[in-house]
Amino acid sequence: MDAMLYRRRAATNYLILSLSFAATGAGLLVLFLIMWSLLRNGIPALGFDFFTQNTPPPDRSGGLLNAIYGSLVMTAVATAVGTPVGILCGTFLAEFSRSSKLAMTVRFINDILLSAPSIVIGLFVYEVMVVPMGHFSGWAGSMALAILVVPVVVRTSENMLSLVPACLREAAFALGAPQWKVVVLVVYRAAMQGMLTGVLLAVARIAGETAPLLFTALNNQFWSSNMNGPMGNLPVVIFQFALSPYADWQRLAWGGALLITLAILSLNIIARFLANWSSFEK
Amino acid sequence: MTFEITPMETPSRPRPHLINVPAPERESGAPADQPAEQPVAKAEIKDLRFYYRDYEALKGINLALHDKRVTAFIGPSGCGKSTLLRILNRIYQLYPDQRATGQVLVDGQDILDPKQDLNLLRARIGMVFQKPTPFPMSIYDNIAFGIRLYQRLGPRELDERVEEALRRAALWDEVKDKLRESGLSLSGGQQQRLCIARAIAVKPEILLLDEPASALDPISTQRIEELISELKSDYCIAIVTHNMQQAARSSDYTAFMYLGQLIEFNTTEAIFTHPKERQTEDYITGRFG
Amino acid sequence: MRRQRLGDTLFRAVTRSFALGVLLLLGAIIASLVAGSIPAFHAFGLGFLFSTAWNPVKDAFGALPAIYGTLITSLLAMMLAVPLAFGIAIFLTELCPPLLRRPIGTLIELLAAIPSIIYGIWGLFVLAPVLQSTLQPALIDSLGAIPYFGVLFAGPPLGLGILTASIILAVMVLPFIASVSRDVFLTVPPLLRESAYAMGATTSEVIRDIIIPHSRIGIVGGVMLGLGRALGETMAVTFVIGNAHHIKASLLAPGTTISATLANEFTEAVDQIYTSSLVALGLILFVITLIVLALANYMLWRMGSREGA
Repeated sequence: MDAMLYRRRAATNYLILSLSFAATGAGLLVLFLIMWSLLRNGIPALGFDFFTQNTPPPDRSGGLLNAIYGSLVMTAVATAVGTPVGILCGTFLAEFSRSSKLAMTVRFINDILLSAPSIVIGLFVYEVMVVPMGHFSGWAGSMALAILVVPVVVRTSENMLSLVPACLREAAFALGAPQWKVVVLVVYRAAMQGMLTGVLLAVARIAGETAPLLFTALNNQFWSSNMNGPMGNLPVVIFQFALSPYADWQRLAWGGALLITLAILSLNIIARFLANWSSFEK
Repeated sequence: MTFEITPMETPSRPRPHLINVPAPERESGAPADQPAEQPVAKAEIKDLRFYYRDYEALKGINLALHDKRVTAFIGPSGCGKSTLLRILNRIYQLYPDQRATGQVLVDGQDILDPKQDLNLLRARIGMVFQKPTPFPMSIYDNIAFGIRLYQRLGPRELDERVEEALRRAALWDEVKDKLRESGLSLSGGQQQRLCIARAIAVKPEILLLDEPASALDPISTQRIEELISELKSDYCIAIVTHNMQQAARSSDYTAFMYLGQLIEFNTTEAIFTHPKERQTEDYITGRFG
Repeated sequence: MRRQRLGDTLFRAVTRSFALGVLLLLGAIIASLVAGSIPAFHAFGLGFLFSTAWNPVKDAFGALPAIYGTLITSLLAMMLAVPLAFGIAIFLTELCPPLLRRPIGTLIELLAAIPSIIYGIWGLFVLAPVLQSTLQPALIDSLGAIPYFGVLFAGPPLGLGILTASIILAVMVLPFIASVSRDVFLTVPPLLRESAYAMGATTSEVIRDIIIPHSRIGIVGGVMLGLGRALGETMAVTFVIGNAHHIKASLLAPGTTISATLANEFTEAVDQIYTSSLVALGLILFVITLIVLALANYMLWRMGSREGA
């Protein structure tokens, strides 16, 4: 055995493994740093006022109530619109048309939509909703978010539905059930947990999206529950306040950032739980 | 167990055609009592061929399934027995590359007719699969699923039908206190009996069993076999099995298939005591399989 | 019975129409982007793509700085992120004690879940000042002193700029590539790895010669998707890139990307040419993303067919 060669190999090995270790350390360090910044700067902002007052004018104190409300409402509407569209499209791909030309095209298009820059989606909704309507609106913001929800739900629904074993479908058919009942009453139920996880992940994705809201819902400094006009929302408020020179605004921006991050992390953890639970039940 | 050689009309030709065979007389030690009536052909299969794309998987099958009797299909893997079974309820039609030609007359009506409504057909011909396939719902809903497809019953009537099906499947005592629990919470043997209960709840005319006990442990297998003997008195049963002893024990007629052809079809007695074909004898005695 | 038939036809038609709807959606997006860009291309012609002008007052616009910024930040980000991501994937599959695998893997994935605006403000308030006082002066003094090559690291340490934006992008894309790579590494059959180890190969050799070649296809897919994400990333970049419509040689100089330009200026664009130029930028970005995706699919197809997969 060539000792020199072996020593060199061992050294390379040690180097590569140390680098991997360092890389992981770096990644975890960044996560820790970000969370630390968020907590350190955001916690002081949280308080009773934070959740009950609306966004203040420059250099005044206030809260983020209208922004929180707007975000919740638009996220809810976007999920309500995007989820059924996504599930039905995913059902078509998984149940009716697995390998047809149409199915392959739709899958490819879905991949494109999945990776499309969210700001371009915002541009699109601006052109087709804001311009004709003549004003920004919560509806436009919700639609932009819904367009982001659809491809995620299509992908996860198709995957989850395809995982349902063929013999389960055959058993339902063998009892004389028509296809739509087989899918709706048996296959959906079998894939339910997986599809729910997909929806949660989609919600987590849109909860922090700023770009699509920039020129659709814009922002509203005052309380507004009118979806037909500009609507306050957390991401755009954070954008605006963080880049301003006012200390009060910056403080609120950090608070909002902390809130969004905690919400999204919780959604992710819940989604993970759900995914593990379903495989546990089997 | 001794076989009594009884005189009966057996076909002299190598390819059995439709026969109306008189009731076989068995020893009194048999697991189930034979009804004294003349067996009636419930389903007649005429020149049935089956194709996967261009490959001919079944090459001209002719036989009859008799009402209130168990017909077993035996043969090595890939011989086409499950394929044959899956034609009888046309479940193969879920897959576009598969097609069948010929006739299958059930009570005189050809079920392979394109005009035949598939869902109605499957409500009349039930199937139990190799792997237990409980639906992801409660035990009660599993049984009620098939009933609800075609009948509107009041809650009390539905309860009765569910109980009846579970009793018939010898599962009632084990699940009567947990009807609302998920079907997936049962053991493998129980799940399979659940599937059998689900199939008979809709009161089919023919029951198709595709290796129902192959995924189960020996004790569950035995219970399933006992169940089949009891169910025989009400249904025409066709069962595919890898287990020859099972076929010998539980069935009245046996069909031996090999490479897509029906080699021999006769009463179980005849097949196992004096098979006519060399291949049948080789298979039964374990020379190949 | 007829009702059940009807139910089937209806259900099939409904799902089919939603699938077609997805197709139409993409078509609508492309159509509206093209329609919105026509005035700009009409006014500037194809020169728009190569012009560095950006004067809202004089209505002279050019896409080159934005395109350059988008491409260079994404490229740099990938150069930084891919090796690190591999390192993390290697750690998770070969080095990490089994008990820690799940938690650390989850933590890395949580990095991916953090929305881009959070990265933006963290970059602006935390990373940029640190870079301004530590890394950038060091780079200027060391690499900036090298003739010719030093041009890349010249200039005042602003904290903001192309390099900072690339670093932030790298951090954002890193967890994504790392989890895809880890998943793909895990699909290598244990028997294959064991036989390599059994011959006395070191861990890094097993990785280099067995695992990576086996997972090539998945890795390429993951990297391309990460690239697509980096190209379209908006908020994180907007905060730290400095928003200057010019192309400088130095990586420490401020610049702009397509998405940052859109984010900053779209709501202020009043006249038609301005708006149309911005929409044209959006169209260009979309086309770039499409090209990357198509390239990825093509590469995957080539690799797959060569292996007879």
